Amino acid sequence: MNLFGLFLGIATLFIIGFGFFWVIRIEYSLGYYWWPYIMGLGFLVIVASIFVPSVWGAALLGAIGASLIWGSTELKEQAVRAELGWYPFNPDPKPQPPFIDLIKKLPLPHL
Amino acid sequence: MIPNYIGLITATSAFLGIWFGHVAVRKIEYISPTIWLPSLVALLLGLTMEVGALVADNLNLSAALGIIGITFLWDSIEFFRQHQRIKKGHAPANPANPRHARLLAKSNQATTIAWLDRNPIGRQLSPEELDSIPGSSI
Repeated sequence: MNLFGLFLGIATLFIIGFGFFWVIRIEYSLGYYWWPYIMGLGFLVIVASIFVPSVWGAALLGAIGASLIWGSTELKEQAVRAELGWYPFNPDPKPQPPFIDLIKKLPLPHL
Repeated sequence: MIPNYIGLITATSAFLGIWFGHVAVRKIEYISPTIWLPSLVALLLGLTMEVGALVADNLNLSAALGIIGITFLWDSIEFFRQHQRIKKGHAPANPANPRHARLLAKSNQATTIAWLDRNPIGRQLSPEELDSIPGSSI
């Protein structure tokens, strides 16, 4: 019997669950315009996993990277939820990400 | 060094699992007259995949089945949670679905508005603006 997949699945459930938490926090404090950086970080983490010799290490990094990519597309929806009053809205000015003018021209990813 | 490709397998599995739980569950819940049937199917598929993960010798296969299987087990709960979102009006109800039609008739919160189908504007919406969103009087 091989417990690897089952335990990895449970670990991934917690990684995804943590995504709900950080998407809310990042949108609140940084705003959704940071999404390309979060998405890029996700891809970097997945590519980095190729160079990790540990099976568990690489497997967890892959799941974390996928969760970062998904979460990056959720930031915009979270911003809408806050504007609708479903979540606390942060009226303070947010730190602007580098290349914000370019980011504003990008189509907002929606999955 | 030897490249380790299991991270690519787990990333793809996690992404597909999240996609299914996020998009497919919403679509199936929208059209399904019952909640228990899709929930039961997700439960059985999830259990089958976890058994597959336990008996698989191949680590890549065990990883993919383990991750997607757990997300399916979660989805069997998520169908009920989505029904609650419809009841609360946070997700659009489908008047052609008898289960949703009952919610629309009973609950004054259920609605056909897709609230999240918009872009952020950078400020909170006023009650007047919320009322003026098409369909909000239904």
